[in-house]
Amino acid sequence: MSTVGIVIVSHSAKVAEGAADMVRQMVGSEVPLAWCGGDPSGGLGTSVEAILTAIDRAWSDAGVALLVDLGGAETNSEMAIEMLPADRQARVVVCNAPIVEGAVIAATEAAGGSSLDVVRRTAEELSPQ
Amino acid sequence: MDRGATLREALLKAVAETIDRHAEELTALDQAIGDGDHGINMKRGFEAALADSANLVPKPWPDFLKGVGMTLVMKVGGASGPLFGTFFLTLGKELPAEPGQADIVRAIRAAIVAVQARGKSERGQKTLLDVMIPVVEALEAGEADLTRLVGVANGAVDATKPIRAIRGRASFLGDRSIGHIDPGARSSALMIAAVAQVLKEVA
Amino acid sequence: MSEAPIRAEIEITNPTGLHARPAVKLTKLAKSFGASIELAFAADGPWIDAKSVVKVMALKAPRGAILYFSASGTDAALAIAALSDLVRRDFDEGPHAAGGRSTAEPGHVG
Repeated sequence: MSTVGIVIVSHSAKVAEGAADMVRQMVGSEVPLAWCGGDPSGGLGTSVEAILTAIDRAWSDAGVALLVDLGGAETNSEMAIEMLPADRQARVVVCNAPIVEGAVIAATEAAGGSSLDVVRRTAEELSPQ
Repeated sequence: MDRGATLREALLKAVAETIDRHAEELTALDQAIGDGDHGINMKRGFEAALADSANLVPKPWPDFLKGVGMTLVMKVGGASGPLFGTFFLTLGKELPAEPGQADIVRAIRAAIVAVQARGKSERGQKTLLDVMIPVVEALEAGEADLTRLVGVANGAVDATKPIRAIRGRASFLGDRSIGHIDPGARSSALMIAAVAQVLKEVA
Repeated sequence: MSEAPIRAEIEITNPTGLHARPAVKLTKLAKSFGASIELAFAADGPWIDAKSVVKVMALKAPRGAILYFSASGTDAALAIAALSDLVRRDFDEGPHAAGGRSTAEPGHVG
């Protein structure tokens, strides 16, 4: 069974890279991990194209969990998921969790071999009930 | 080139040109209540669609509209890409190859519903929906006069001024978003006016 | 599986306690065993699942706190030994273990 992949989507490339750094250093390298941030012209923003590329890089047959920051990041992530091939769509989820903490928690859960559903639920335990 | 292709080419060109001509204005509107990239983002998206014109225009209406939507999704960036992209993608999904008046109105309504779902937004929240919804309602009520439809759109743009934004980046400003026109509403009205102008010329 | 759980208690000597990074390490290690493993601040609980990183982080166990482990299952003894050893090693957080290096490459760190 392969390990669930993690994708970090922030408006800021620095935030996304920093969160990815935390995952690498705290959890390790066994989890497929990719990040994206910033719009195509280098400012703050998120792009569907970049999210699709990141999902592809972190792809795992066990699925991919996305951690996103503000509004547009979620909208663009949902759009990206809908544009995936049908057989992949059902294996990518957006976690309703804070981006940095959620990424570390989700990666920890993924590293333990948990399913996509469990990874998502664990990350979402962080959100206010 | 058949009549449909000629019309598709004219429409794409007109919409891309109006966005290009108003890019600075849209950016200024967005600088007031957003992050100031709406003009440049929309311009980049429609430039990309226009650059692909030779490929898109010969396709039948559904595929043409889906192609435009996909280009906007991929190239616009920000939240506008998925929102306007979803609008065109849904139009493409809903329209038959040879659409009639009723098909068009129904497809526009379906596209607006899809945009609402994509943005998790409703009318009255200072977004492009505040222009699109009054216009489709006028269409559904049987309004067919293009000049009056453009009037509805422009009036709806001004009506976004007093609204306090609760969706999108503008919502971070709270009360300070009051008194500014929504850039997405403005670009929607610009596109509607451009489409109306082309349709008048072919009528 | 009616055997009594295997237990251990161990003091946290890590200067910064069981903070985020050690919590991740402890949880990851716990997850590598089939045994069910619980963790508490006191001998009589309340017990939390040592495989839940959210719950272990929420413990915020400081230096000097005593951690109680309780495990049951086939590899319970091994799990308790490994976890106790991790706590004893200060979660490998010594001066050479923390590291400030970046391992991320743009766009892809996997």
